Amino acid sequence: MVLEIKNLVKTFKQADLSKIEVLKNLNLAVQKRDTVAVVGQSGSGKSTLLSLLAGLDRQTSGSLKLHGKELGELSEIEMTQFRAENIGIIFQQFYLMPHLTSLENVSLPLEMFGYKESQERALEAMDQVGLMDRVKHFPHQLSGGESQRVAIARAIVIRPSILLADEPTGNLDNATGFQVADLIFNLVQTTGMTMIMVTHNKDLANKCSRQMTLKNGTFE
Amino acid sequence: MMIIKKLFWPKLALRELRNNRKFSLFFILNLAMGLSGFIALDSFKESLDLHLGKNSKAILGADIALTTYFPFQEENIKYLESNLPENTKVTRRISLFTMVSSIKKSRLVEVIGVEELFPFYGKIFLKNNGIVQDDNHLKKLNLYDESWVYPELLNILNLSEDENIKIGEKNFLITDLVMDDPSSSMSSFGFAPRIYVGFSKLKETGLLTKKSRVSYQRLYSLPKGANLESIVEKLKNNVKNLKGSDSKIRIISHKNAGNNLGRLLGYLNDYLGLVALIAIFLAGIGAAYLYRNYLSHHFRELSILMSLGATRQQTYQMVLWQLLFLGTGASLIAILISIIILPFLPLLLEQFLPRGFVTHISLSSLFFSIFIGCMGSFVFCLPVLSRIRSVKPLYLFHEHFINNDVEFKLWQQWYSYIPLIMLSWFLSVWQSHSWVVGSIFIVMLILSIIVLCLVALVILRIVGDISQNLNSVVIRLAFRNINRNRLGAISCFLALSMGTLLINLIPQIYQGLQEEISRPKDFRIPSLFMFDIQPDQIEALKKLISEENEVMKYISPMVRARLEKINNEVFKSFNDDSPITREQEREQRFRMRTLNLSYRTELSESEYIVRGQPFSSKYDWDSGLPSEVSIEERYADRFGLKIGDTLTFNVQEILIDAKIVNFRRVKWNSFQPNFFILFQPGVLEEAPATFLASLGGLDQFKRIKLQNKIVNKFPNVSVVDVNRTVKRILSISDQMVLALKLMAYLSIFAGLIVVFSIARNEVEGRLWELNLLKVLGAKFNDIQKMIQFEFLIIGFFACIFGVSVSTIMSYGLAWWFFENFWQWTWGISIMSIIGVISMSVIVAWFATRKLLKSSPLTLLRSS
Ligand SMILES: Nc1ncnc2c1ncn2[C@@H]1O[C@H](COP(=O)(O)OP(=O)(O)OP(=O)(O)O)[C@@H](O)[C@H]1O
Ligand SMILES: [Mg+2]
Repeated sequence: MVLEIKNLVKTFKQADLSKIEVLKNLNLAVQKRDTVAVVGQSGSGKSTLLSLLAGLDRQTSGSLKLHGKELGELSEIEMTQFRAENIGIIFQQFYLMPHLTSLENVSLPLEMFGYKESQERALEAMDQVGLMDRVKHFPHQLSGGESQRVAIARAIVIRPSILLADEPTGNLDNATGFQVADLIFNLVQTTGMTMIMVTHNKDLANKCSRQMTLKNGTFE
Repeated sequence: MMIIKKLFWPKLALRELRNNRKFSLFFILNLAMGLSGFIALDSFKESLDLHLGKNSKAILGADIALTTYFPFQEENIKYLESNLPENTKVTRRISLFTMVSSIKKSRLVEVIGVEELFPFYGKIFLKNNGIVQDDNHLKKLNLYDESWVYPELLNILNLSEDENIKIGEKNFLITDLVMDDPSSSMSSFGFAPRIYVGFSKLKETGLLTKKSRVSYQRLYSLPKGANLESIVEKLKNNVKNLKGSDSKIRIISHKNAGNNLGRLLGYLNDYLGLVALIAIFLAGIGAAYLYRNYLSHHFRELSILMSLGATRQQTYQMVLWQLLFLGTGASLIAILISIIILPFLPLLLEQFLPRGFVTHISLSSLFFSIFIGCMGSFVFCLPVLSRIRSVKPLYLFHEHFINNDVEFKLWQQWYSYIPLIMLSWFLSVWQSHSWVVGSIFIVMLILSIIVLCLVALVILRIVGDISQNLNSVVIRLAFRNINRNRLGAISCFLALSMGTLLINLIPQIYQGLQEEISRPKDFRIPSLFMFDIQPDQIEALKKLISEENEVMKYISPMVRARLEKINNEVFKSFNDDSPITREQEREQRFRMRTLNLSYRTELSESEYIVRGQPFSSKYDWDSGLPSEVSIEERYADRFGLKIGDTLTFNVQEILIDAKIVNFRRVKWNSFQPNFFILFQPGVLEEAPATFLASLGGLDQFKRIKLQNKIVNKFPNVSVVDVNRTVKRILSISDQMVLALKLMAYLSIFAGLIVVFSIARNEVEGRLWELNLLKVLGAKFNDIQKMIQFEFLIIGFFACIFGVSVSTIMSYGLAWWFFENFWQWTWGISIMSIIGVISMSVIVAWFATRKLLKSSPLTLLRSS
């Protein structure tokens, strides 16, 4: 079992001190190599779930285990370490560092931890996303699809066991979106990652091995 | 496996800075402007210290010297010199102030009699004979009636070389001119030029009598390896065992010879340092503002880094690296600027500086400036920096990630300002060498910043209200913009108003000083001042002066004494620790001074009683009561004296008890004979005294004539031309003020750079909205007008308040120091208002003109 969620609850305090319960008693188990599509209306808590899985936020209660590790029990430093080794994240807005070239963006997570062969692995990742001819380009010199492919390369360069994607095609036109989606699925397939993907796109969701719909804070 | 690569973070930090080139450039420029004055000054100070330190042996001419105002007793000298190691060389030196005259004129000089070995250190440089190296030159001085004089003396006395000069009863031939004399470390104040004669010859002038104040010195050169401190210690202990006049022998080591001489320059440096600190402060405000903008745009990148596995510590690390780079960059540029400024400082201050002074930048001041640059940028940015805590990578999941969403409520983190306050406090105490001055300065600075900030907030509110009902769109938008970007407006306001304050304050204080010293029609200031008059000469002197239809005024007796006890507790004369702060230094000088007492029946015009009772009447020796004394107010303060305290004085080995009955305030700059301690009549009349007196209202011709007459008849009486001294003081204070003014201009320049950076930044941040205005039909001119109007308003209010605060401050200072004499220098105020307003508008225009010209198309693409 790669991922195990039990009775997961997440509430937010509002400015007026009232609480909103975004996730209520969520349960989910994901096997290795599973690809899970999380769908649901806007505001249903999809991104919130992903941010919990990424360890960028903490659950209010319940259990959230990745590779048998209870995320809620990790310290911030341990969490950072765990994330850096196991989790790749792809955002809807790509979030590339504007002052670094594509290659440097991709090698960034490796370099941050001083891997020796970071350069080679970054090039490898760039090759995997088919952007060998764009390595020296800066983000503002890339199209949206290319930017997202660089972001994907950056997510997989650490060889994560879990890939989290929050509407990875949301900012792209249909044709480009499909290309990027194909790329993601291929990579997941070949590397044997587990993927949780948030999407509004039916076709994309259908490509996944499982579909979960978030409604009123739980899976339907 | 996870070895953290050390260089990764600094490299990334550097990259980010390179990517944000404009920010880095302006940040560095801002800080560098502020730092450069400070660094130039620090190097200057250090050069001076070094120069004085190096020359301290040359200043004394020896390792150790014994000095006293009475001839040494043979057996005591033997006793003292038994402490000195073998092979110690000794030479004797006598100096005294006296009048000398040519046929035409007379002048107060310092006559120095030296023996062959003088000096052990340093080289006297003569015009004709070059460096005094072998003993032949000095032998000749001791064999013949020859003298070497300071060149300025020839001018003053209308003499030329090879003429004779009369010292006491003896004529000396002038054989050479002293071009360089290391033992006068400050180029002499023009007060008393020197004349060198042979030691034995000086004895023949007849001046070494009890009538004149003669300083006797024995100079020693110790053999290599001798322990200076322990010898000084032993000598001091032995002197305590001596009786009579030799118990007053002072031991001077070369280490404390250099200190006093740079004192005046030291004071000036202190104040320059404080003004330079303000420049740093202004620059810091600008830098912090820029940094705040930079960082808020930077939060997203920090979030991305954290989502990729960077810890919060690592993001801090990166930000700190950036500050380190920026600070170092700023210091390096500041060092460059100060290398350019530095050679000009000695030109500015030539009247003070020792001969042969050269400036240089030492390695330690280099490191110091880098330290200040880095620390400075760190503490100034800390309030902004502490915001990093609120960076959350979580926000990356929300599309509406807003760069500016972290609202800066700067005052909420008041504690993050503490390091800034501590650092500036440390710097100002250190710069002013005074806890009191430094602390007062910082409190004043913080207070004026707070007041100006509050004022700015009020103005902003008013501006906001006004903007509601304005017809002109341009002006309305300008008002709105000011109100919307409060932090930028307040920063500009602060920088400009502090700068204006400074450039107004300094001339206003100076004006007060100048008016006070040299009001032309004020006859309170005497023309000539005479001292060392013997009691039996008074009548004859009076007569001589009345022959010229003038009246000798304020004839005051002066009795030398020592303070033995205060309220029956032994008074510690001075401690030997070397002084660190100016207060300690002054304290030591106060305590070392053998006191000059006086008595008078009536107070002079330049003094009045502030507390206590006037003297009762003439003292009655049979009453058995202590006599009455009056103490100068600040002197009393210094020793913590209270009315009713008993002081015990030693006057010629006779102990006299005195009770303090009142405190006086004295106007010292009246140049009248005045004293810290005044006795009631009837106590000191029998004690041996010399007299002081002054003469007022003389024109130049009469001054010279009288001076010559007095000197011819009474060679032991010293006459000082007060007019000349006042002129000298004024020209020195002119230089001080010029230096201070330049420092103030530097800070207003720093302020304008702040305006430049902020204007640019603002417009850049608002570019899309300005372009939107263009798209909606606004003309380029309107937009430019709007920006200019914004800075016009800010500049206007900044100047008004800068000028007002400085006027209030200078009024307060005038009231405190110059006894209420105050004049508004409206010319400077108006000039600075016009100047600063137009400068800020021009600078704003200059900063934004290119950005404003950008086409609205670029905006639509990039947004
Ligand atoms: N930090 C927060 N504080 C308060 N409320 C929050 C916070 N983050 C999210 N919410 C709320 O939680 C709910 C779920 O938000 P979330 O971003 O997870 O929705 P989503 O399913 O990703 O929607 P979308 O499809 O539009 O991206 C929303 O109502 C949002 O307002
Ligand atoms: Mg979402």
